Amino acid sequence: MKKGLFFLLILFLPFYSVMAAEDFYRFDTEEQQQRFDALTSQLRCLVCQNQTLAESNAGLAEDLRKQVYQQVQRGQSDKQIVAYLVARYGDFILYRPPLSTATVGLWFGPLMILIAAVGYLIYYLRKNKQRRE
Amino acid sequence: MKARVLLPLIIFSFVVILLWRGLSLDPNHLPSPLINRATPAFQLNTLFDPKKTTTQQDLLGHVTLLNIWATWCGSCADEHELLVDIAKDKTLFLYGINYKDNPVTAKDWLKKQGNPYQIVATDPNGNAAIDLGVYVTPETFIIDKKGFIRYTQIGSITPDIWENTLKPIVKKLQGET
Amino acid sequence: MLPELGNFALILALCFALIQGIAPLYGYYKNKSLYFQVSTVAVIGQVGFLSFAMLCLIFSFLNNDMTVVYVQEHSHQLLPFIYRVGAAWGGHEGSLLLWCLILSGWTFAFVLFSSRQLSQKTFAKIIMVLGFISAGFITFLFFTSDPFRRIFPEAPLIGDDLTPILQDPGLIFHPPMLYLGYVGSAIGFAFAIAALIEGKLDKSWVQTCRPWVILPWSFLSCGIVLGSWWAYRELGWGGWWFWDPVENASLLPWLSGTALIHALIVSEKRGAFKGWTLLLAIITFALSLLGTFLVRSGVLVSVHTFASDPTRGLFLLCYLTLIIGGAFVFYGYRIKDFYRAPNFELFSRETFLLINSVVMLTAVATIMIGTLYPIILDALNLGKISVGEPYFNTVFLPIILPVLLLMGFAPHVNWGHQSFKKLWTKLRLNFMLCLLIGLIGPWIVGFPFHLLASIGVFFGVWIILATAQYVYNLLKTNKKIDLSHWSMIVAHIGIAVLALGITLTKSYSEERQVKMQIGETVTVGGYQFTFNHMDEATGSNYKSIVATFDVSQPHGTTRSLSAEQRLYSSHDQVLSKPGILFNIWRDLYLALGTSLPDGSLSVRIYYKPFVRWIWFGGLLLLIGGLLSLLTLQKKKERL
Repeated sequence: MKKGLFFLLILFLPFYSVMAAEDFYRFDTEEQQQRFDALTSQLRCLVCQNQTLAESNAGLAEDLRKQVYQQVQRGQSDKQIVAYLVARYGDFILYRPPLSTATVGLWFGPLMILIAAVGYLIYYLRKNKQRRE
Repeated sequence: MKARVLLPLIIFSFVVILLWRGLSLDPNHLPSPLINRATPAFQLNTLFDPKKTTTQQDLLGHVTLLNIWATWCGSCADEHELLVDIAKDKTLFLYGINYKDNPVTAKDWLKKQGNPYQIVATDPNGNAAIDLGVYVTPETFIIDKKGFIRYTQIGSITPDIWENTLKPIVKKLQGET
Repeated sequence: MLPELGNFALILALCFALIQGIAPLYGYYKNKSLYFQVSTVAVIGQVGFLSFAMLCLIFSFLNNDMTVVYVQEHSHQLLPFIYRVGAAWGGHEGSLLLWCLILSGWTFAFVLFSSRQLSQKTFAKIIMVLGFISAGFITFLFFTSDPFRRIFPEAPLIGDDLTPILQDPGLIFHPPMLYLGYVGSAIGFAFAIAALIEGKLDKSWVQTCRPWVILPWSFLSCGIVLGSWWAYRELGWGGWWFWDPVENASLLPWLSGTALIHALIVSEKRGAFKGWTLLLAIITFALSLLGTFLVRSGVLVSVHTFASDPTRGLFLLCYLTLIIGGAFVFYGYRIKDFYRAPNFELFSRETFLLINSVVMLTAVATIMIGTLYPIILDALNLGKISVGEPYFNTVFLPIILPVLLLMGFAPHVNWGHQSFKKLWTKLRLNFMLCLLIGLIGPWIVGFPFHLLASIGVFFGVWIILATAQYVYNLLKTNKKIDLSHWSMIVAHIGIAVLALGITLTKSYSEERQVKMQIGETVTVGGYQFTFNHMDEATGSNYKSIVATFDVSQPHGTTRSLSAEQRLYSSHDQVLSKPGILFNIWRDLYLALGTSLPDGSLSVRIYYKPFVRWIWFGGLLLLIGGLLSLLTLQKKKERL
């Protein structure tokens, strides 16, 4: 009897740990499932230590996953769903930061550095070549 | 030549200053994007009379303290006494949203601990809270007479926070037409 | 009694560290070599007492001495013995003690193996720098993060327990391995400071320095790979890298360490790039300290951070500024003594290795920008953003691809001067072949076309075949392939295998989330998974549900695969332990989810081809690094 009770308990206990999402969402099409997976793995759980909505079991993460699920079912586009969440929580919820004047440095910085570095390299080696001639 | 010598030092200085600034910031604190925007529309049942509904219209005409709370939230219990105290000032309008809670427990709690709220709405599935951008409980919004959100307080209100931060804002907004 | 002894040992270790740092200075002033020898003895004292302190801590854990705050916060009556040992470094204070211990250990090893290879004065300088670094860290440990702090008289009887997710063999190996890598970079740093003080960097310096740079790098590679493998096994959804800030912090010294190894090669073979070598040695240690800072300061949000404390962060930041800032200033002041006009052509192996350094540092800068940008915006009051996987995957790939390309060419490029035409003639057939394999290879084997996979296959196969051609050429000209060649070959092939594993698994993984009743079957990646039965099991501090599945292929044998849900008594937390069936070609990964009201179980099943190659590639890097150490043994024997 005790064993059986424990069995039931473990199955229905809310999970607080760092592990895969528990709620189970059924979609009509494979495409919807993939969109849902892609969205929830690019959105941030706001009350966790750096986890995606897909991974987290926090209460808020479950609520937000349910929101995303309902909106995908309703036929909202990815853009609309993202806009909905950003309107309420800000850009922080996106793991892919949007391109704005503030994030120009983020998105173009690496490229600029690479170009500058390679450019300097070529210049330096060319100058070196000239000097040796 | 000079560049190669100074560049590492310049970059290093920049990083150190950034990290020093970062030490006084809280990476977990999320500012609300709803500041200076109208309160999002909602329609909820009230706690004490489930047949009655309340909407964001109930926030118009006065400065409101909209408080998201729950009986299962420890920090909410911490600030409850202060809220009851604040509510004694009848010029203030306290609006509570009971978040993902059991209505029986909630009513019981308010009976025992005192009810500071003029209206208590229930948000059993948390959707209204999502619309308000709530991510942690308790959260308190200061809403002006026209229904615009002017300030959000994340976490429980302490007497210090009330006296030095929230009360001045409320008084200022009450002075506005 | 033990904690007091441990505390006392810390004090003694600090004294020895100070002696280790100050004695050589005094020796210089007095011009007496006796003081240099004193500092060597101090090293032994330091490592001895720090080892003793660590043992005191471990035994406090084994005895579950709850009067020690640190033990109470991380242990529990039911915690298995092996995890009590791991818990000793599972929190901030203990891991810092491990840091100090490993630093003293590296210094001790350095004294043991390299004292004869350098002039006494150079040797003394290195020990001195290490002594000051040690002293600083032990001071930080003792005054702000003492693991032996006690609570008297009201000690709680029950421990808070180690977070269930840390109760895994990974805890025993991953942090020490990682720290061996992080901390070992201090030696390269000490070498650089010694060279800057002396104003010269000669052959004995380079030859002695190399193993002390390569060995930490190898351990760091291993540590990063262990972390990735642990996360994969533990977290339940088949991921192995998350671009989490702390993970990034471990990648940064690895990247600059790679650049340093290659710059050292040029310094050794051609006497060039001395400035680069010194700069990279300083940068690698700086990045290592940055990582230490990020994990403990609370500046960034990460699953890996210890309980954050900005005051500790401030101390670390000041310390970092002092050491690294001082090093950079010193570097700027002295570097002109090392400058040598380059005597190599635009197209030469030196250039290739220079590009390596430049691109590695660009990668470092890129990852730093991404990791620190949220702080930048927050500090400027421009709002809060998150920078995660989508960003890093986008910006990192274009930077790393050119390196992979050049890696194939580099061994064939001569020192000093190389004709591009000759190089291309030599390699163009190989190159074309690899392009072809990249394009149609996956398709031939039965996978659909996928751009990322083709790119990965091209670059991976290119590195392997170009390196193979290099070996073939060596054999053809009857040149002996010695260990130093082998270490490069193995390490480069390790990168190729890593690239193949990453791109193929990302392109061709399949995932299904389904709910299953007992007896139902689901097909993923060509394999059939049938839910067979469910059991209960008990561990020492948990109870679990075990679900067993039969896995089969249409004409193959049936194997059994079990996954668990564990309930840990102390935490009221449920941890999912995935079941994995693996072979060299693919992993079959199964994680349990909730039970649903109708009695079925929700499961996540993954087919992950080539994912083991990622860690195998990392293992090859470790082997390649260790092989290069044998070269030095051989060299010594010949002398």
